[in-house]
Amino acid sequence: MVLEATMICIDNSEWMRNGDYAPTRFQAQADAVNLICGAKTQSNPENTVGVLTLAGKGVRVLVTPTSDLGKILSCMHGLDIGGEMNLTSGVQVAQLALKHRQNKHQRQRIVLFAGSPVASDKKTLETIGKKLRKTNIALDIVSFGEEDDNKSEKLDALLSAVISNENSHIVHVPPGQAILSDVLISSSIFTGDGEGGSGFAAAAAAGAAAAAAAAAGGAGGFEFGVDPNLDPELALALRVSMEEERARQEAAAKRAADEASKNQTEGGESSGQGGDVAMMDASPVVPVAAADKGPDFMDEESALLEQALKMSMAESAAAAAAQGAGDVTMGDGMSEDLALALQMSMQEAAAAAAAGGTTTPASSDMSRVLGDQSFVSSVLASLPGVDPNDPSVRDVLASFQQEEEQRKNDAKGKDTEKQG
Amino acid sequence: MAAVVAARHQIDLVECIDWVGVECLNEKSDRTFINVLKQGYRDDNGLQLESDTDEQLLIYIPFNQVVKLHSLIIRAPAEEGPKTVKLFANRQNMGFGNVGDFPPSDVLTLTPEQLQGKPVLLKYVKFQHVRSLTVFIEDNQSGAEETKVQKLAIVGSTVETTNMSELKKVGNS
Repeated sequence: MVLEATMICIDNSEWMRNGDYAPTRFQAQADAVNLICGAKTQSNPENTVGVLTLAGKGVRVLVTPTSDLGKILSCMHGLDIGGEMNLTSGVQVAQLALKHRQNKHQRQRIVLFAGSPVASDKKTLETIGKKLRKTNIALDIVSFGEEDDNKSEKLDALLSAVISNENSHIVHVPPGQAILSDVLISSSIFTGDGEGGSGFAAAAAAGAAAAAAAAAGGAGGFEFGVDPNLDPELALALRVSMEEERARQEAAAKRAADEASKNQTEGGESSGQGGDVAMMDASPVVPVAAADKGPDFMDEESALLEQALKMSMAESAAAAAAQGAGDVTMGDGMSEDLALALQMSMQEAAAAAAAGGTTTPASSDMSRVLGDQSFVSSVLASLPGVDPNDPSVRDVLASFQQEEEQRKNDAKGKDTEKQG
Repeated sequence: MAAVVAARHQIDLVECIDWVGVECLNEKSDRTFINVLKQGYRDDNGLQLESDTDEQLLIYIPFNQVVKLHSLIIRAPAEEGPKTVKLFANRQNMGFGNVGDFPPSDVLTLTPEQLQGKPVLLKYVKFQHVRSLTVFIEDNQSGAEETKVQKLAIVGSTVETTNMSELKKVGNS
């Protein structure tokens, strides 16, 4: 939350007609200016921003420092392009405008857009820079557009004359690479002064990133589609996990290569085995094991151990696969088989009971146990893979119960006959 | 020194400085005017005001009421201490660019003896109705690149006016 008065120097020379920054250099610059004005006025309610043009008939102050964002933005419309940039007088006019700021407590800053060649020599610029420094003015330079004529060297000289206590910054934006305002928003001009990296800058950065992602199909300019300034912890976590993943993949790839070469030396008989190992490498089990054991796993003994482990796992996997195949068929037929088995045993019991006429103690015990429906169902429920509610099981139980009742009725009938 | 001041009914005007408005140009960002003006800081010789790019310094000191200035007390190292000091009364928005545009209210040429904290008398008649004082340190004793100041105290008297900042609302409760 730096309390600041800022003068923004716009380059409106003929060089701004060039279209190497979409849509034109001038429009790109205007967008960037709007962005900076917004950031400055929102980082502190008492911040003021003024705008002047460097080219045209002469240096012209469009707005003296004001905190009224609308005033600043409206002055940007209908600007004429023409003439040559007059950097030296522009900076001095900006300095004057800043000197007469209302609130003396504001720190002073000039943001200089330089898109055309710099005519003044290095020495003049250094003198101006010293003057700025003497009057406690910080200078941010956005260098874009023309690159010839030692421009960047001159601007660097200007900056190094101004800079004190890391308060000034320069950003070189090469053409065609990215949108000017997007480059600026992640630059030190927005985030530079630590506390100067305001909430607005972050929000605007997020907004710009989202807009860029929407426009460019998710490129966004950030590594993970997340602005690292917005959420440093998240960015760090993402980066760390990315690195771990990369290390893991590298280790797995290295091991696979080792295995392949080893299997080749072992000869033709292990070719099938090699195929197994390769297959296992594709499965998720082995990479996890590799990650657990760490990267220095490459001595021969442990490599053999590893191979053995893999083979055994392959076997077990094969066994499991066979079992799984069995399970699949069983899954369909299980309850029927079970029902059949139950039925058979019960039929035996029933047959014995019927043949005996009178129930033997053992079979009567059995039938009593089986007749207790709640007990049977609880036993069935405790058996793995058996559903007591399965219709076939129920049928069996029901049929058994019917037999039991029939048998009881028969016995009763016999008893009544005896009595009668 | 204090006795001299007391005898003439002059007081240290540190209480009258409007701190929010004080500005110093060409100061080093870690050795600011605070070190020479504020009570306590200014009595520590280790805390100094230093010039940054060249030997000049421009200190603008507004007051929260109208004052009369009597003298300045400046303490500085003998080598890098200020030599020519120009004082401007009631001039706002001074910069190094226009410092030569106005006639100074007073020009002091300091000797090394005066830099040890002796009061330097001003043209009293020129400073009878002062709302702000601009101190322009033009060069230093040895012509060095850096000018250093340890203490700058302003001695004078207040014109009997109402100090608006001391007005307090008197509540009923």
